[in-house]
Amino acid sequence: MAYLCGIDIGGTFTDCAVVDEAGRIVVAKALSTPGDFAQGVVNAVEAAAQQLGLPLADLLTQTAALAHGTTVGTNTMVQRSGAKVGLITTKGHGDVIHIMRGASGRVAGVPLEKILHFAESSKPEPIVPKPLIAEVTERVDYKGAVVVPLDLADARAAVDRLLGEGVTAIAICFLWSFKNPLHEQRVRRLVEEMAPRVFVTCSSELVPKWGEYERTAAVAINAYIGPTASRYILSLEEEMQSFGYQRPLLIMQCGGGVMPAREAARAPLLTLDSGPVGGLIASKYLADTMGCRNVIATDMGGTSFDVGLIHDGQPVSSYVSVANQYRYFVPRIDIKSVGSGGGSIVTIDATSRSLRVGPRSAGAEPGPACYGRGGSEPTVTDADLLLGYLDPDYFLGGRIRLDKEAAAAAIGKVAAALDLDLVQCAAGIAKIVEFQMADLVRKVTIQKGYDPRDFVLFAYGGAGPVHAGVYGRELGAQALVIPLGDICSVWSALGAASSDVLHIFEQVDILDAPFDAARVNANFGALEDKGLRLLRQEGVAAEQVQLIRSVDMRYKAQIHQVEVAVPEGELGPPELGALIDRFEERYELLYGKGSGYRGAGVQIESFRCRAVGRTAKPVIAELPAGGPIPSGTASATARDVYWSELGQWQRTPVYWGVHLRPGNEIVGPAIVEVPDTTIVIHPDQEAKVDRFGNFVIRL
Amino acid sequence: MALVKDGVIWDGVENPYIPGETLAIDPSLRLHSEVAEEIDPVTYEVLRYNLWNINEEHGLTIQRTSGSPIAIYAMDFNPSLLTENAEFIYYGPYMQYMSGVTDNQIKWTMENRGQNPGIEDGDIFLSNDPWVGAAHQQDVTVLCPVFWEGKLFCWVANVLHHYDLGGITPSSFCPGARDVFDEPAPFPPVKIVERGVLRRDIEALHLRRSRKPNLVALDVRSQIAGNTMAKERITGLLERYGAPTVKGVMRKIIDDAERSFLRKLRRLPDGSWREQTFIEVAYPGDRHAYRAVVTVTKEGDKLIFENAGTDPQVGAINTTYSGWRGSILTALNQIFCYDQLYCVGGAVRHLEFRPTLGTFTVAKFPASVSSAPVQGMETSLNLAQNALGKMIACDPELKRDVLCICGNNMFATALITGVNQHGERYGIPLLDPMGGALGAFSFRDGISTGGMNRTPIGELPNVEYNEQIYPMLYLSRREMTDSGGAGKYKGGNGAILTFVLHDTELITHSTVTSGAAVPTGIGVFAGYPAGTNGYGLLRGSDVRARLGRGEMPTDLVEIAGEPVLLHPRQEGIPQRRDDVFALWWGGGAAYGDPLERDPEAVRQDVQLGYVSPAAARDIYGVILAGGDLDVDAMGTTGRRAEIRAERLAAFGRRPQEREGVGRPALMTVGEYLKVVDDGAGKVYACARCDHELGSIADNYKLRCLAQDRPMTAASPAIGDPARYLDEEYVFRQYYCPGCGGLVENEVTRRGEPPLWDVQIGAGTLRASPRATDLGSDQ
Repeated sequence: MAYLCGIDIGGTFTDCAVVDEAGRIVVAKALSTPGDFAQGVVNAVEAAAQQLGLPLADLLTQTAALAHGTTVGTNTMVQRSGAKVGLITTKGHGDVIHIMRGASGRVAGVPLEKILHFAESSKPEPIVPKPLIAEVTERVDYKGAVVVPLDLADARAAVDRLLGEGVTAIAICFLWSFKNPLHEQRVRRLVEEMAPRVFVTCSSELVPKWGEYERTAAVAINAYIGPTASRYILSLEEEMQSFGYQRPLLIMQCGGGVMPAREAARAPLLTLDSGPVGGLIASKYLADTMGCRNVIATDMGGTSFDVGLIHDGQPVSSYVSVANQYRYFVPRIDIKSVGSGGGSIVTIDATSRSLRVGPRSAGAEPGPACYGRGGSEPTVTDADLLLGYLDPDYFLGGRIRLDKEAAAAAIGKVAAALDLDLVQCAAGIAKIVEFQMADLVRKVTIQKGYDPRDFVLFAYGGAGPVHAGVYGRELGAQALVIPLGDICSVWSALGAASSDVLHIFEQVDILDAPFDAARVNANFGALEDKGLRLLRQEGVAAEQVQLIRSVDMRYKAQIHQVEVAVPEGELGPPELGALIDRFEERYELLYGKGSGYRGAGVQIESFRCRAVGRTAKPVIAELPAGGPIPSGTASATARDVYWSELGQWQRTPVYWGVHLRPGNEIVGPAIVEVPDTTIVIHPDQEAKVDRFGNFVIRL
Repeated sequence: MALVKDGVIWDGVENPYIPGETLAIDPSLRLHSEVAEEIDPVTYEVLRYNLWNINEEHGLTIQRTSGSPIAIYAMDFNPSLLTENAEFIYYGPYMQYMSGVTDNQIKWTMENRGQNPGIEDGDIFLSNDPWVGAAHQQDVTVLCPVFWEGKLFCWVANVLHHYDLGGITPSSFCPGARDVFDEPAPFPPVKIVERGVLRRDIEALHLRRSRKPNLVALDVRSQIAGNTMAKERITGLLERYGAPTVKGVMRKIIDDAERSFLRKLRRLPDGSWREQTFIEVAYPGDRHAYRAVVTVTKEGDKLIFENAGTDPQVGAINTTYSGWRGSILTALNQIFCYDQLYCVGGAVRHLEFRPTLGTFTVAKFPASVSSAPVQGMETSLNLAQNALGKMIACDPELKRDVLCICGNNMFATALITGVNQHGERYGIPLLDPMGGALGAFSFRDGISTGGMNRTPIGELPNVEYNEQIYPMLYLSRREMTDSGGAGKYKGGNGAILTFVLHDTELITHSTVTSGAAVPTGIGVFAGYPAGTNGYGLLRGSDVRARLGRGEMPTDLVEIAGEPVLLHPRQEGIPQRRDDVFALWWGGGAAYGDPLERDPEAVRQDVQLGYVSPAAARDIYGVILAGGDLDVDAMGTTGRRAEIRAERLAAFGRRPQEREGVGRPALMTVGEYLKVVDDGAGKVYACARCDHELGSIADNYKLRCLAQDRPMTAASPAIGDPARYLDEEYVFRQYYCPGCGGLVENEVTRRGEPPLWDVQIGAGTLRASPRATDLGSDQ
């Protein structure tokens, strides 16, 4: 037996999803154990083993892949609790990470309202203070040629000084190192010789991209979170191995796959932004099972709303990341967020006397007013409760009891100030948040050249299925799918378990069309060699290796690029010519017919190879089918719900999701209660339970 | 109809265009003005959000598709959304002044193109005439009417800086232009897209002027793509919500912004606030500087802006009315409308502009205006920013929104031209100064290399980007010591870069800036001016030998060579293989008296290299000990008292016993003045010691002790203006005769009377200042 095992550590629970060779999924949860998260992981895996009737060690020895998404790096950034970092740069360029490309340092990742108000805008607290930056004599030019050789004595003195300052991590970024990495590599070895215990990272290995600020930011962040994150990752691996697991621990990364722990410990930067990726991979996995090629995956939790896309069976990527206002270039699954969640706070704009929702959130503490934990500001969840969407006695499966009076008091204040009645006001709040979400989805679809009408919408997260019926309708999506059953409750863990091993290799080499075929082939050859070598080292069988090529192209002098897929094999002039056609096709899709202008010249900026080691995939078992009519136990109750589209309250049937069976059909208006969320089915919508236990709602 | 006033026809031909009270629109063009009576707060919020997003997306489309490095890095574009009668709804967050020039171009188009060739659904107009309303010729405006059921519903518009449109200097910034005939030809609005089809003839006409027609072709397409996208999205809203509802939301956005503006305005006293600056070197070889003045007067619910006192148009430092007004709108938007997503339309209803024609900030045809954004326009923005800042400082709440003049406030333009290492021609200003710096706030320091307020999200390119496309090798690019103004709250620091040639034999430079001789980053309420911009050139240096020996020199002072003084406006400067070129830009201006800065903050500034030990001692009065690692608290207190006493001693005075300290202030005017009632009327008093400084009907500076000091005393990062100018310019400080405390500073010409910068009180005001108020000797 070979099991796949996915782990996701949340604020409260650590989830574990185990998939056996037959595709059977076992899910288990244990309390998270902050301080020593490994304990919670062991407990969760043990709980899964129990369900399988196995001792922990037996499960682990038979586990082919143990995959885990970690937020240790993210938490280190958020809490600003990272290492004391020393930074080594080219002489004359030590201020790169303080200049931060000017305004970019003030505005990257910052909400617009703050950008427009200068008095609120600032650069972040520096991740590497100026006294911990050492400039070293060396210089390479744009061709990669050495202008001034590395001065080793100077480098040694720099490392000495930084070590004297007590740094526990050293980041190295020299100009043009992505064209010629030798100086960086030499200094890296120097650090390893002089201080073997210090975490060291250099830009040509981590992010060989064009642009010294973004490279420097990337290595500095990698160093900042490096000691904490790598310690965590390696000790977790060690611990799992001590319990019998015999293979490398796999860590979720932002690019949309997993990487072995040793790799992750070297490049924990890649674990940033990986949080929502597990959910998207799970979506891809479910979409593959259901046969959906295009999916808009939406996750609405307490504080934020995340959106990712799967287009033509592949997650859509982005190439820019931001952490604490530092920007860097790493290919990642493109997931966009806005501060629209159940906890988003409702305010009144004094001037326009209109409702505003978010981006401030009541979070989990104190939480919405109806949580009764001292929150008094009205939130989206309070509105949901007043509208009858939520059951005060069965919120999160009854884990939190909601106080309807507190919600009415909080929303009442806002309603009175606007001369609205309580229900109108609550309905307005729901509508605004639903439209904000629809707007974000438009941004990641229409603005990127995708038409939401070609997509199926997935909604998950505690608050998603409450509101998805409306934003799905707004977008005109083909259907709304609410992943259900056991897998839903361990969605991210399942994503980790179903991820392939992924390494992304990139090479910047700016080429003008017509492209030099020999150089193109050589570039891909070198990238693919690296990918093959690494996957082989990691023990991936040759037949499981897949190498996916792409290039970033643009019209000459533009900085925004379009990623274009490249076929495998030796490329000649016909294939390279076709590349330009494909680029222009994609460009016009994005920016409109006639927006291209070949006369400006076409360039390739970077070459990319995604080296994938395919892992075994779980198979979701089909459930026994029932008839169209839900059983009596599934449809026991009813409650009053306010439906905006009808403009009135209506007695509405309430179903228990756990008792519904494939084939069951429900006609809206209706409410379905499931342990982790509530599904709101609007009038004129129809839902059906599919053969895997998911809800499919016709919008 | 164009405005006719005092015998001047503001026609957009000889004189700048200013629309009159009503627009003369051909009856064939019907306007949609039907507004839904009731809009519920939810629909309002949904549509408001949508309209902002549409405009932002409009900008993103331009950014992604333009081929111009200026557009991309300098974010030198901006989309805007206007009503059918050209009231502003939204500006984008990009180059601010660009939106400020669109409304009048639309009005001109409606007045002059409605009948022939007609304005119809599917048409788009292109325009770059600064007398009609463009900022300068390179800023090409593309205007797109959005129709609904045969009526003009609204306008989407954008402005984008085109790479090169001809003229005597590559890049089309023509620092040596004698007049507009040396520059790109201005096009009044022409129909570039007719019923949805790009007109090849008009496009060819536009491209033919350019040294880089392919890039300009991409730019034109990018602008059209932006317009088309925005138009389609708005049409979608009209289909869904109905035109009256969408129009109702547009009106309400503006009405709300108007109410918000008025609420702030009503917190302020009536009065006039004024700032002046001196812009140097109007043409190559010139050794003079020219005065520019902006006065803002608040009268009830109205703000009146004037430029009276500004010198006549001259050389190539000019801007037209549109640039002057657009720059003022930028400052106003940032100070008053940030909480309304930059909807300046509501405020515009309460603004009156009283331009003085023929000045270099409101120039007549055919003045040279191709450099307007980096000359007359930045000047106007800076002046308006300080004048408005001093105005809002009268209210304790609004005071938090004071932003002192930012770094690189007169763009430190270094034009480089030649053939690059790939065999391609280039001609472009270096965009590194986009790094800028934010000026100080009234409660905290400015932000070093924090960008510029005129382009809130503009960036500087990576060194690697420039080295890839230009034949240069940077020796260094660093934040520059002392370049931020000194003050209680320090201005952010600017930066300096040096480079040599690489894979070429020649780069030809031209320089265009101001604020290199006379500082233009003027502080607020005794804050010191920021450092100056500048250029450096070392000829015949040993740099190549040094690099060859494995050394990496980074600063001019480390390299042996013959220093050449480059002027702020000089063309055709060759840089050859043994030459090192340097460029630096001043930082942000400061707020408040540097002697009041927290000594510990000064110690940190020194440690981080933002302030030199000399400036810490001489300007901040901070004594450091232990290798500059500690503050000598006693020494600092003593040094600061000594500085104040020295000021008084120079006038034969000694610090006086404090008289009646703590008299209640009727109003605080900035940091160091308060208004008190002395029984006979309202007078100014020193906020520190209560010493009386005269009636509020008079200039308080006349009662202060005025000391002219050399300009270099204001900062080690300010050089001697005499290098470039024949007249003497001084750093003038006004001290309280009672305590020796610093009340205000001026950057001025020797012999000028004090600038009357603050006049409080209704009824005592004249809307037009007298010459003496301006410190003019005429």
